[in-house]
Amino acid sequence: MISKEMMVYSLRNIWNRKLRSFLTVLSIFMGIATIFIFISFGLGLYEYIEKTTAGTSADKIIVQPKGAGLIGLSDDFVLTEDDLRAVEKSSGVYEATGVYIKAVEVKQKTKTKYAFLTAYDPKKPLIMQISNVGVDEGRGLKSGDKGKVVLGYNYKIKDKIFSEPYELNDKIEVQGQDLRVVGFFEKVGSPQDDSNIYITNDFIDDLYPDKNNSYSWIIAKVDSEKIKGVVLDVENNLRKTRDVKKGKEDFFVQSFEDLIKSYSIVLNIIIGFVVLIALISVIVSVINTSNTMVTSVLERVKEIGIIKSIGARNSDIFDIFLFESGFLGFVGGVLGVLLGVLFTTIGGYVLENLGWGFLQPSYSPYLFIGCILFAVLTGAISGVLPAINASKIKPVDALRYE
Amino acid sequence: MEKEIIKLKNVCRNYKLGNSIVRAVRNADLKINSGDFVAVVGPSGSGKSTLMNLIGALDLATNGEIFLDNKNIEHLTESNLAQIRGKKIGFIFQSFNLIPTLTALENVTLPMFFQNVSKKEREDRAKELLFELGLKERENHLPSELSGGERQRVAIARALANDPDVVLADEPTGNLDSKSGEKVLDILKDLNKKGKTIIIVTHDMHMAKKARRIVKIKDGKI
Repeated sequence: MISKEMMVYSLRNIWNRKLRSFLTVLSIFMGIATIFIFISFGLGLYEYIEKTTAGTSADKIIVQPKGAGLIGLSDDFVLTEDDLRAVEKSSGVYEATGVYIKAVEVKQKTKTKYAFLTAYDPKKPLIMQISNVGVDEGRGLKSGDKGKVVLGYNYKIKDKIFSEPYELNDKIEVQGQDLRVVGFFEKVGSPQDDSNIYITNDFIDDLYPDKNNSYSWIIAKVDSEKIKGVVLDVENNLRKTRDVKKGKEDFFVQSFEDLIKSYSIVLNIIIGFVVLIALISVIVSVINTSNTMVTSVLERVKEIGIIKSIGARNSDIFDIFLFESGFLGFVGGVLGVLLGVLFTTIGGYVLENLGWGFLQPSYSPYLFIGCILFAVLTGAISGVLPAINASKIKPVDALRYE
Repeated sequence: MEKEIIKLKNVCRNYKLGNSIVRAVRNADLKINSGDFVAVVGPSGSGKSTLMNLIGALDLATNGEIFLDNKNIEHLTESNLAQIRGKKIGFIFQSFNLIPTLTALENVTLPMFFQNVSKKEREDRAKELLFELGLKERENHLPSELSGGERQRVAIARALANDPDVVLADEPTGNLDSKSGEKVLDILKDLNKKGKTIIIVTHDMHMAKKARRIVKIKDGKI
């Protein structure tokens, strides 16, 4: 291990080459800061997914359209009452319900906005159980609530969706009809979810009288112990009612857990990809640090000769140079983490204000320690070769070196 | 009978310079007794610095054997050579060779550091040496803040730090004015009186005459 005296000696050398040391540190801390930023936001997203799905989703399965049609906008895909019956009679299914999701026109005075409308059966509020969002103000929907809506959180906020905020018992114009606001949901943290409008499913035909309305999703509560078998049975029954062959399904059935898992996989890939790019910048900084250390060794050949002549062993010289590069990495890591915290805090604040409150950084002690250790390690790795070269310099040659 | 501290037996040192081989030291035989004061003299290029590097274990001979304190240093590892250099030999160079980033005091403590002397002991010893050499007021100065004579005295203090048997000085007064040079020479003579073996390398006959014994070297031959 390197002693305090050698550290002081190394640190003074770094200090004497302030500009170069600074530039080296700069190249390290950019990479570390990038890694820190993306991982902390990634952790935040995982936490968000976990929080919103905790507990209530393990026994749910979802039937969704397969392919290009966007939910609520495309009428190509149709889930009928027959399909719902097919799901209900599958083994292991406790209850099932159809959910309508439609794009709707919402008007306030002369302003028109488009939002998603969700219509569900208040007796089987499975969709609300999945999303784990509670009522913030007023009440939830009840059976027979015709002409009544529960709104997403953002309708309560001035200048968020409309310039005027809505209050309980206000009227809101949806698809040309005036509906009464009976409640607001809690904040979810994404602009889309927080501008959703909810009605009961038996009111959908009143809102869209001239259309043959069909479900966008079928959600079922099932025996969570046998969920894999249930999914297969539901698939089988749907193939029969919809008259499609195996492998040619126009729908897919997934347990909600699997659905979240598939989101997580996509998330992993995205984060992994971004971190990979950041790693490339770390590799560049390794080369840069190596270059700094090689120069530093060349500048100090004579000094190496001197300290060898007064009794320094090869290992002493090696330690000095390895410590220097490791220390540069350490400073880069600490600065990178600090910059990362600053950036993610500001970023989280800005995103919150833009309505993307679910995109928040999450800090774990491992992230801090990991980033700094990683920086020290990359610094040290950069220093290994130059340090070996330095330690092998022959004293007699070094002393003659000018 | 006096103890033999340095013995060279038929030592050669060849260098490659491009395609030709330079025979810097040829078949040198030399014995130096403990407590001696030897001046190695010769014109520049005569091989005297190479000879000094060999004696000081900074360099290894191409042929022949070198004994330091009756120990053959030819087959020692780099680590052991470093230990010997640090412990048994004190170097004084023409260009002082102090570490520019360290203060006078730190420069003097450094050789003791490599011998694992405790921190307290190192500092006490270094302060004592600097005091003896009249540098008490300068101990916290960097080399760049010291005059040539002062720097060389710091270098002498550093050479003495581990209380070595042998002090090797390569043109110790070469970069000094005559007054400072005399002073350094007096210090070396004084050290010799206290029992240290002093070997100076010089091309200056005036200086060499102060030594007890003169070894002449020319074209690598003693």
